[in-house]
Amino acid sequence: MLRIVASASRPSSVSLLSVAHRRNLSSTSARQADITLTVDGKEVTVPQGSALIQACEAAGSPIPRFCYHDRLAIAGNCRMCLVEVARSPKPVASCAAPAMPGAVVFTNTPLVHEAREGVMEFLLSNHPLDCPICDQGGECDLQDQSIRYGSDRTRFHEIAGKRAVSNKDLGPIVKTSMNRCIQCTRCVRFANEVAGVEDLGTTGRGNDLQIGMYVEKMMDSELSGNVIDLCPVGALTSKPYAMQARPWELKTTESVDVLDALGSNIRVDSRGVQVMRVQPRTNDNVNEEWISDKTRYAYDGLRFQRLTTPLIKGPDNRFVTASWPDALAAIAAGLNQTGAKGNEIKAIAGHLADTETLVVLKDLINRLGSDNLASDLEGKYGNAPPVHGIDVRSNYSFNSTIAGVESADAILLVGTNPRHEAAVLNSRIRKSWLHTDLVVGMVGTRADTTYGFEHLGEDAKALEKFLSGKVKGEFAERWAQAKRPLIMVGSSMAEHADGEAVFGMLARYVAATGERIVREDWNGFNVLQRVASRPALYETGFVPSRAATSTTPKFIFLLNADEVDPASIPADAFVVYQGHHGDRGAALADVCLPGCAYTEKSSTWVNTEGRSQLGRAAVPPPGAAREDWKIVRALSEVLGVDLPYEDLVGVRDRMWAISPSLVRWDGLEGTSLEVAKAGLGSLMSNFYQTDVVSRASVTMAQCTRAFVTREKTSLEGLGKEPLQAHA
Amino acid sequence: MMLARRQLVPLVRRVAPSISSRSIASDAVSPAQSVAATTPTDVVPVAVTELLTAEVISGAPSELRHRAVRVYQPTRNTMQSGGAKGERWRIDFDILQGGGRWENPLMGYASSADYMQGARVTFKSQEDAINFAKQQGWDYYVQQPTVKRIPPKNYSDNYLYRPNKLRICKTK
Repeated sequence: MLRIVASASRPSSVSLLSVAHRRNLSSTSARQADITLTVDGKEVTVPQGSALIQACEAAGSPIPRFCYHDRLAIAGNCRMCLVEVARSPKPVASCAAPAMPGAVVFTNTPLVHEAREGVMEFLLSNHPLDCPICDQGGECDLQDQSIRYGSDRTRFHEIAGKRAVSNKDLGPIVKTSMNRCIQCTRCVRFANEVAGVEDLGTTGRGNDLQIGMYVEKMMDSELSGNVIDLCPVGALTSKPYAMQARPWELKTTESVDVLDALGSNIRVDSRGVQVMRVQPRTNDNVNEEWISDKTRYAYDGLRFQRLTTPLIKGPDNRFVTASWPDALAAIAAGLNQTGAKGNEIKAIAGHLADTETLVVLKDLINRLGSDNLASDLEGKYGNAPPVHGIDVRSNYSFNSTIAGVESADAILLVGTNPRHEAAVLNSRIRKSWLHTDLVVGMVGTRADTTYGFEHLGEDAKALEKFLSGKVKGEFAERWAQAKRPLIMVGSSMAEHADGEAVFGMLARYVAATGERIVREDWNGFNVLQRVASRPALYETGFVPSRAATSTTPKFIFLLNADEVDPASIPADAFVVYQGHHGDRGAALADVCLPGCAYTEKSSTWVNTEGRSQLGRAAVPPPGAAREDWKIVRALSEVLGVDLPYEDLVGVRDRMWAISPSLVRWDGLEGTSLEVAKAGLGSLMSNFYQTDVVSRASVTMAQCTRAFVTREKTSLEGLGKEPLQAHA
Repeated sequence: MMLARRQLVPLVRRVAPSISSRSIASDAVSPAQSVAATTPTDVVPVAVTELLTAEVISGAPSELRHRAVRVYQPTRNTMQSGGAKGERWRIDFDILQGGGRWENPLMGYASSADYMQGARVTFKSQEDAINFAKQQGWDYYVQQPTVKRIPPKNYSDNYLYRPNKLRICKTK
């Protein structure tokens, strides 16, 4: 069947080969040499050690594949990527073969076609013909590639029929249909390498090979939704999205996630006025190709508990719907009636406040004569300036950058559990831990991080002991020798009784170590924010002055502030809530103003490393809800303090005046080297429900039941499809 | 100062913000910026000093000139491994706030008052897309494509010996 075509004996490019091997003795860099080979008659140069499939891609020859994935280890088991290499007796799997200098490769010859057709025929022999009811339909690799390499008639005449495999229960997110599995093992490699769930694997051999957890167990990972993307067929599909939509019905909008402070790049897929799903967008500077399950599946929370119309609390303590002019007039009347002056007018910014609105609200409150710009930090900490200060940006930013984590050789986690606070960042640490000699130490509440670490203690005392060098052990030893040590302080530390001590201790340590932690090419002091709005909050100076801290407020404006402590709001204060969900903040309010959620406005978000990114509206807001900055701007007019901008460009000019980096979207400004004053348990106890959107989400509630409270009740009846009996 | 600032802020905006103060002639003048063509384009570079934008004579509704378009390169669908159409650039409009879309109460169909909601134009290069937006007289924002860094990968990495404690049991 396989015949050697005449082209296989073409001469290789010898002259280029010799060039590639010439090496300058004076070059001491670790850069690998490049090699040159010929793919489909085109010469291409790739770094040494590349796989052949990478060379083919670089030459612009697409190679069909199922098991090979750019961000996973190479398995080489689907055999779809066969290519012809000159002087090789048979086709070569291009993912498992290294690119050799001078090789002559053909990707589009009759031999290659026939080989791939053979592979495809075997794959399809056990694949069910259920494309019309399969959720992968329309974006299925097997479907796509069978158009080109599939046979138009079957030679399959087994009496026993196709292979049948029982479905697995992987939890409330991943729906399995294991008959469709082609055993590419992408999910297994992802779970083992990236997510750190090492109990997903294969059992059996050959035709009996099965993917599963070995025992009845759910896939407990914050990144489990990514296996749905990875699966080239419909074996692993999305449970919340099951039978909801087809990809060609969806309108895609490229945006930014706000449910953690990482600023993962997402693509919001919508149909009509509904967000149907959220997909990752590749960006190697931020989230590579992964997003967390909360990012991916909290979108159904955008449909529930929404504020759709302005509300005014009546005399019987019940909300009455109102028009926008009435609601704004009620706020003006409330402000007059309380007689609030100066710092008695208070604004509290919450987790999901966008940068534009923060700037406009800060201008409004300042024009009313107040400096009382609080945030909804845990307990009373939001009412005072943060302990790390906001004057020096490197004091509250992730200075090493997210991609820079991979170049660290020792990481000290202080009061943070990155697995919950930034799940995708955690996978980077795991990646580095697997592929380099990285060592990790942790001070704070012990947590399962998916990589090994040395626990140095629970509290600030343990940190002090470690920093003073009194701890013996492997980590301490490696830390002392580390070329690129990295300290990662959780943002929970700024909301902790010992926060001031911890930040002070670390600041003194960083200063005392001189060039070791902070120098020209490496800034190893990082604060990991966990809330999307906080970096922008500090960047725009949205913090109270010292004088404002002790003032009792009479008029409070809650901007998306739902984590605020109800006890901190005086009973006689007039409270306005602006936001998109009727949660804790709205319950406290006298007037509610409906705003937009992050999928409904094109606004700026600053992530934990200070990277400002521009989101984009995918769907219109429900009911009478309006864009948030416009609401505050309209309110300023009613209150008689007009703000000097009328359109979005005006607002962004104002942002530029405050900090140019806010409107240099997608760019990252480096921070200064002066760590003026640096800042133990993580405050995030339930990863799946941290904000109004995820609290309103049914899927996140199911995840909480499955992975946090671990309720034994079956998910049957809750999910859209009952768990299928194991055949 | 003002000029430098405009260059820093990537949102390109024309000078006249309100309709009343606009005159057609002044609006039609746009700075002649020659964009260096780095990728093969369909556009033959011509020294244009004065650009008569299409909106002047096209009869397009005046609301259109208050809306911004985004010029971007759509990222690859993570559900699929194919990279086709990945080099293309796209122009589409930001959605209309309020009234842009609603669910039809009778059938549940998606209705829209936004006549540009389905407009999506594809180009071979960024320069082509920008040129088109300029000719139409649209405000545009260019979203830069993200970087992709895939290190060299090798099958033999699966069998590398590491002297330290075993950190992962390779399985599949």
